[in-house]
Amino acid sequence: MTADTLDTVARPVHRRTTGTRFALWARRLGWRHAVMLVVVAFAVFPVLFVVSAALNPLGTLSSSQLWPTGASFDNARALFDSTPFATWYTNSLFFAVTNAAVTVLLSALAAYAFSRMRFKGRRVGLIGLLVIQMFPQFLAIVAIYLMFSDLGELYPAIGFDTRWGLLLVYLGGALSINTWLMKGFFDTVPKELDESAQMDGATHAQVFFRIMLPLVTPVLAIVALLVFINTINEFLLASVFLRDTDAQTLGLGLHQLVDSQRNANFGMFAVGAIMLSLPTLAVFWFLQRYISEGLTSGAVKG
Amino acid sequence: MRMRSVPALAGIAALSLMATACGGGDGSEEGDGSQEGSLVIWSDPERSEAIQAAAEEFAETNGIEVDVQNVSFDDIQGDVVNAHQAGNAPDLFLGAHDWVGNLMRNGAVQPIELPSDRAEQLDETAVEAMSLDGQLLGVPYAQENIFLMRNTEMAPDAPETFEELVETGTELKDEGEVDEVLAMAVDQEGDPFRMNPFMRSAGGYLFGQNDEGEWNPDDLGVGSDETIEAMERIAEYGEEGEGVLRRSIDVENDAPLFFEGDTAFFVAGPWNLADANASDVDFEISAIPGFEDGEPASPYLGYQSFYVSEGGANSALAEEFVVNHVTDPEFVLDLYEADPRTPVQSEALESVSEEDPNIAAIADAAEHGVAMPNIPEMGETWEPLGVAQAQIISGEDAREAMENAHEQIAERIGQ
Amino acid sequence: MATDNTRPAGTPSDGRPARPPLPGGRFAARGSLTGTLVKLTLLGLFTALGIWAVLPLYVAGNWWGIALTVAVVALVYWVYLSGRTVPAKYLVPGVALLMAFQILPVLYTMSTSLTNMSDGHRGTKEQAIASIEAFSVVRTDDSEEYTLTVATTGDPETGELVFLLTDEEGQAYAGDADGLEELTGATVDSTGKVSEAFGYTLLSPNEINARSDELQEFAVPTGEGSGIRSSGLSSAFEGTALRTYDADCDCVEDNETGTVYTADDDRGAFYDEDGERLAQGWQVGVGFDNFLRFLVNPTFATAFFGTLVWNIAFAASVTFLVFVLGLAVAMALHTPRMRGKVAYRILVVLPYAMSSLAMYLLWRDMFNTDFGLFNRMLGLEVDWLGDPWAARAAVILANVWLGYPYMFLVATGALQAIPRELSQAAHLDGAGPWQAFRHVTLPLLMVAMTPILISTFAFNFNNFNAVWLLTQGGPFTSEGTMAGGATDLLITYTYRLAFSEATAQYGYAAAMSVMIFVIVSVMSVVSLRRSKALQEVDR
Repeated sequence: MTADTLDTVARPVHRRTTGTRFALWARRLGWRHAVMLVVVAFAVFPVLFVVSAALNPLGTLSSSQLWPTGASFDNARALFDSTPFATWYTNSLFFAVTNAAVTVLLSALAAYAFSRMRFKGRRVGLIGLLVIQMFPQFLAIVAIYLMFSDLGELYPAIGFDTRWGLLLVYLGGALSINTWLMKGFFDTVPKELDESAQMDGATHAQVFFRIMLPLVTPVLAIVALLVFINTINEFLLASVFLRDTDAQTLGLGLHQLVDSQRNANFGMFAVGAIMLSLPTLAVFWFLQRYISEGLTSGAVKG
Repeated sequence: MRMRSVPALAGIAALSLMATACGGGDGSEEGDGSQEGSLVIWSDPERSEAIQAAAEEFAETNGIEVDVQNVSFDDIQGDVVNAHQAGNAPDLFLGAHDWVGNLMRNGAVQPIELPSDRAEQLDETAVEAMSLDGQLLGVPYAQENIFLMRNTEMAPDAPETFEELVETGTELKDEGEVDEVLAMAVDQEGDPFRMNPFMRSAGGYLFGQNDEGEWNPDDLGVGSDETIEAMERIAEYGEEGEGVLRRSIDVENDAPLFFEGDTAFFVAGPWNLADANASDVDFEISAIPGFEDGEPASPYLGYQSFYVSEGGANSALAEEFVVNHVTDPEFVLDLYEADPRTPVQSEALESVSEEDPNIAAIADAAEHGVAMPNIPEMGETWEPLGVAQAQIISGEDAREAMENAHEQIAERIGQ
Repeated sequence: MATDNTRPAGTPSDGRPARPPLPGGRFAARGSLTGTLVKLTLLGLFTALGIWAVLPLYVAGNWWGIALTVAVVALVYWVYLSGRTVPAKYLVPGVALLMAFQILPVLYTMSTSLTNMSDGHRGTKEQAIASIEAFSVVRTDDSEEYTLTVATTGDPETGELVFLLTDEEGQAYAGDADGLEELTGATVDSTGKVSEAFGYTLLSPNEINARSDELQEFAVPTGEGSGIRSSGLSSAFEGTALRTYDADCDCVEDNETGTVYTADDDRGAFYDEDGERLAQGWQVGVGFDNFLRFLVNPTFATAFFGTLVWNIAFAASVTFLVFVLGLAVAMALHTPRMRGKVAYRILVVLPYAMSSLAMYLLWRDMFNTDFGLFNRMLGLEVDWLGDPWAARAAVILANVWLGYPYMFLVATGALQAIPRELSQAAHLDGAGPWQAFRHVTLPLLMVAMTPILISTFAFNFNNFNAVWLLTQGGPFTSEGTMAGGATDLLITYTYRLAFSEATAQYGYAAAMSVMIFVIVSVMSVVSLRRSKALQEVDR
């Protein structure tokens, strides 16, 4: 990254002027508000059209007008009436929460090993994690399908239309770039901390659970959120695994609503998309305090 | 620091892991695909409830459960072929008639033999469209075709020719009553399905047909002089011409244009009926008008059908279902109630036409229609042809675009 | 977890310079009682899982499966009970899942690049032959149509199948695997079905259905190659198989036209003398043909280079822009006290929370020339999706919108790891905020961010939806889609080549994906090597 472009980020700070309160505020916080207002506008305006489509009884997703021709909850009612919405919602949340929780655990375990230990295959493992994700996933679907057809015959509990089968496939991606992200964060925790704990007689497991994990809370929260969002919006693998209406997720159900363009119902789709974003925002709201306040300065000194 | 919450988080994760590890015993149902004792049908979500309800009687009579599962319509074909390869295809599935070629070469479906009294009741074109090399591959139940929907307040009379339509539409536009002459989805990447009536009316063709009406993939007409001339005629109404046909109109905004009164004419399909009935617009349905002195504007006819998978565990009942139940007017009418499409079963069509003038009008609009070619080569034409047509509408040279498309299609279908 | 840990953690690679003592080396010998209990419980559960996995394998007689399961269980025991395997204790769960559900499918897919797997070439030769024969059964001209009643002479579940048939005159017949004979003394109901016949047990629909497989094979022989088959539960017809397979010549003969189609095991289909083939083929290995097919294709060669350049430009610019924007937001919010911080955070994360499917559809609509938001609001007449450069800009803009919240989240996390004291110290040393950022914060940030940036780059490099849902790779030149569109990525170009609406050519697609995979992996690894991140790895 060149300095020129980042210049824009910091430029509002540069002018050191008089000591009036306003100037001080502008220097310390004003530019922050200015940046945020611009970004928020950019972030929010397309979303408004989705809200508009959700209210528009015509069932179209269109940016030609922000105000719907008539505001009604017909789309929402249609979605709740014609689909097993509650079941889908529950399924989506199950996958998102479970996958996020287990992925955070598995990824943190691996990141700890990558960060604190030196072993054969460490470098290859790290690079491999990055590289394996570059293979286009939609091609591997056929392989996964064939694999689970066989597995499902032997073990109906992890076959198609079961939660555990799909969850296993999701967990296959538990070690990923997220592990790099975590490792990077683990690296910034000074080694002196765990070394002194070891001096006091702690095992490596105790160091990991009692010392490391609390110190890396922000990155745990971030990875949890990233996995949560990806899982709740996932529909490609879900469409392969889940046929039974009651086993499906909301993301998949929504995909089916608009996949066939001719019968697409964007109104219902928009309602569903908004409903799907609510848990994400709730989780983010819950986790964001850990993200930014997990570390009070001074707890960790380099 | 929040020391306490983190072990808690880790604890939850560990618990979930254990739950995953010993999760076998939650009584999960067997996997999907066909299993004895439960007839599995794949349908798009829009129709699944209707099929479930309409199949109840069959289920009771034969002492079997019917399980209709949702797969989005565009995915059904590919998923069935994958599932068949893996040995867990559904017993039955819903599909379009132009899938027959691909389903046949993958051996994914089972040919059907209809008793003559059942076959006689079905529309002949529909049965032909579902057949390949003399084999019936599925049983059709409904027909779809595009038609012209017009706002009767603005345009009381159905236009006889396309020129007349443009004239009426342009007058309305000049008077400021409407913004657009016609809402027809051309789309940025083209829409050969909707363009076909116009191309045929102006003298163009895609594949030749032999005397028996069978499609001949060796006679590809995309780059022929007739077709190029046809596209040149259509281009007169394109963006560099009258501006009636434009790429900016697509399947997402065509219906709103009409329902919000921004245009008097709309090239619509049965899938727009529900919204049309719900809107405030007074509308009527007629055939898509052709060019003056041209051929009739033949829309593609599409048939919705039930297919029986090859090698399903319930193939006996699945066959029974398509042979004696899908051809039954009662069943077709039950399905119609939930999802109005023109039935191909003659008794059902009669009773529906009496009840619903729109369905009768749609069936009339299909008079000059041709069944969409069901040869596998057809699938290779959509994209190159669409792109070429969109370019021509945008004002590019018709000859160059069509000849390139021709070359590309010919290469793909191995000529 | 580990109770007997007296040895160094992991083995350092040979030939590396001496390092400071390894952390694992001084771990305490004994963990807490709770830790031991948890460990034993988990191992116990895992053993139970292993037993659960073995049982069905044993029933199915799958000895390789059993061996694999036992090996995995043994490995886990070794890893968690041995003291030498500390890193493995942390890696095994994740790596095992990764192997099974990511690496294995990818390897399988790569192996299909050496086959002709595609529609019409999916199954085995036997399946193709069975299908060819089944699809050649046609109804004998003017043959009788029978009303069918399925019966058996023995037990409903296993007894020999018999077709009780009634012709149009009401005459009843009994047909079994030996042939057809008249049936006397049977009661025929109004629909023509036999309702009672001495010596035969009539089967209920359910009973017939249970024997579906048998019924598929069953025909009452009536002559050379023809037989009476069922159609549903209550009708039957006489049919003849027009095409039959002959194992001696490894060919299929059409009995009607006399054409002989000979098996070609290199191409996986039956061909006649004129090169016409039967539609049903089978999967065969084709070596590197799939790779050669596009390497020697001149159109592909020219299209490939242009597409690759744009693909790199697209991925790089999206990565760069989301990084700048995401970092800017993260920096702006990186302050202890700021009013409305939580609200800001939630609002800027919105694009990431919304279903990307919905948002791509909406962005496409916003770029519409006549009805789209941009042209209407700004009074422009830009042909956003029709002009090559406008389309490229549109694709980048939409993806920056969708992608920056991710970068914001990651950058926020990375910023937390940088002690504030550092920039405060720089501040005291007289550095301006910009210099502090530039020389203190940014370098530290980049160490953690580089792998993320590379991964973002790789993700966007293969971001199929990003282009497909907006432009489908277009706009195209008048040369058509083969030459590649202005916004085509390699992956969308590949997709269009390999998957049309009629045919999915998996082998071909896999071959192209392997090529793309190699390109993007090499680029990523090279850039990783040049960055500080890998030095960190090696440290």
